[in-house]
Amino acid sequence: MSPAEIKFYFDNQEITGFTGQSVGAALLANGDRILRKTRFNEKGRGLFCGIGVCFDCLVVIDGIANQRACLIEIKSGMKVQTQVGSDA
Amino acid sequence: MHNVVIVGGGPAGLSAALAAAAAGAPVLLIDSNPRLGGQYWRQPDESFGDQSTQHFDLETGMLLINAVKARKEIEVWSGANIWSATHKDGVNTLRVLLNGKEKIVNTGNLILCTGAYDRTLPFPGWDIPGVMTPGGVQSLIKGHGVLAGKRVVVAGSGPFLLPVAAGVVKAGGQVVELLEANKSRRWISSLFVILENLSKIKEGIYYIKTISEAKVRARFGYAVVAAHAGGNGELESVDVAKINRNFKVKKVRNVRCDVAAIGWGFTPDTTLAGTLGCKQIVAKDGSVVVSADTNQQSSVTGVFVAGEITGIGGSELSMAEGVIAGLSAAKFVGCQVEVSKAHKQRRAKKQRFANALIKSYPVKDGWKSWVHSNTVVCRCEEVKVSDLNYAIDELGATDSRTAKLFTRCGMGMCQGRICGRSVVDLVADHLNVSPTDTDRISAVNRPIITPISLGQLAAGE
Repeated sequence: MSPAEIKFYFDNQEITGFTGQSVGAALLANGDRILRKTRFNEKGRGLFCGIGVCFDCLVVIDGIANQRACLIEIKSGMKVQTQVGSDA
Repeated sequence: MHNVVIVGGGPAGLSAALAAAAAGAPVLLIDSNPRLGGQYWRQPDESFGDQSTQHFDLETGMLLINAVKARKEIEVWSGANIWSATHKDGVNTLRVLLNGKEKIVNTGNLILCTGAYDRTLPFPGWDIPGVMTPGGVQSLIKGHGVLAGKRVVVAGSGPFLLPVAAGVVKAGGQVVELLEANKSRRWISSLFVILENLSKIKEGIYYIKTISEAKVRARFGYAVVAAHAGGNGELESVDVAKINRNFKVKKVRNVRCDVAAIGWGFTPDTTLAGTLGCKQIVAKDGSVVVSADTNQQSSVTGVFVAGEITGIGGSELSMAEGVIAGLSAAKFVGCQVEVSKAHKQRRAKKQRFANALIKSYPVKDGWKSWVHSNTVVCRCEEVKVSDLNYAIDELGATDSRTAKLFTRCGMGMCQGRICGRSVVDLVADHLNVSPTDTDRISAVNRPIITPISLGQLAAGE
């Protein structure tokens, strides 16, 4: 058995990941490291702690902001967007 | 009705669940991860196949995980987030989000095994994408089959850097630097402890063998003191410094890399225990831990604690504490069971090793000389060192709590989990005083366990 492919979207671009991978892991495997822009200085941020502690990898998922990319598992057709500021 | 409720599915939580269930107590095990095992035995989806090459001892983990799954007396909630907890008249109320719905658990008998996360220190450029914690890099490999980058610098202090470097090598990455800030000879004073814990030595040799086969050589007395971004805003290089015994910089050179995994041991996650009123104390290494008696009971009757939240000690100490906590909780609810002398001796042996570890990998004060006035300290609220100093020099803050209120440092989404400890150190340093235990303990006080949206709350039971 090998992991099944799952297709989802990041900023309207189709991305392929595998069953059980987090949004952050699947995006990183695709070369996407900047997941949000900070509120004040619009600096790029990505995965840092990787285990749900630091809240630096926040993205918008299916319209809902402040989701931790390192924890949420990818689902087919999921629409992920770069979070700008606190609520995109 | 569950007799014993356990929070956390890592080495301590799994051991506690099995011990309590074997003693006859029905158990509810609440775990935030999608799969049991904690950070130590983190695994990807089953379809990824055999994962034993990414672990030193996955066999023990699988033994515990499968035993927990096989026991009818143990109910497991995976992917469950506790967002709030209160304690009143002997009853602990946990508000849990499970599959998008809120569930409320009331229990008088609770075992907390909430673990730890990487301790980080602020330095110029630590917020650039590509700078990560060693635990973060490892969790990507172990839990998702993803290597964070091709050229990896692993740095900081502590034995955990070894498995992370070995994991990167096994996943096909290049460890361009493996840097331990402390000198290796610090271990010599703990020779007896090493000899009585030979399994840990075997584990160390296993990692070193993997690393040496890839021609990686660990260097002692070096640290990453700055990170630089390329034109795309992502990590391009780090400044590697030779440092003295107190971590003051002697000589710097630049190293190109995709990823820098930098960690300074671990921070116990005492949030839940603190919210329930369990007494917290400051350990020898300055970390805040939950105080436990010889039966692993906290200051709150009926609330037991095990694993890293009682002090960083690794998986074996966590398992030893978990067993005792499980038996104690079962006895508390009326099961005929006793904690044996052998259980306590096993814990004491693992504790001696943990103590030697803490002694061998100190984080020395000199790290504070690496930050500049424009270095970000609080990543969430983008608060700089200069903001903290302004709060002290111009606004009259005389402790870290006041400096925090003036600057919002540590008041963002992570609630100070990442910067809290460093802020206490930096503020005290600027005030030219030593941090008090009150400073340290108040920095880990968090009213909300996990931030959730109002929509999720409204959808609850």
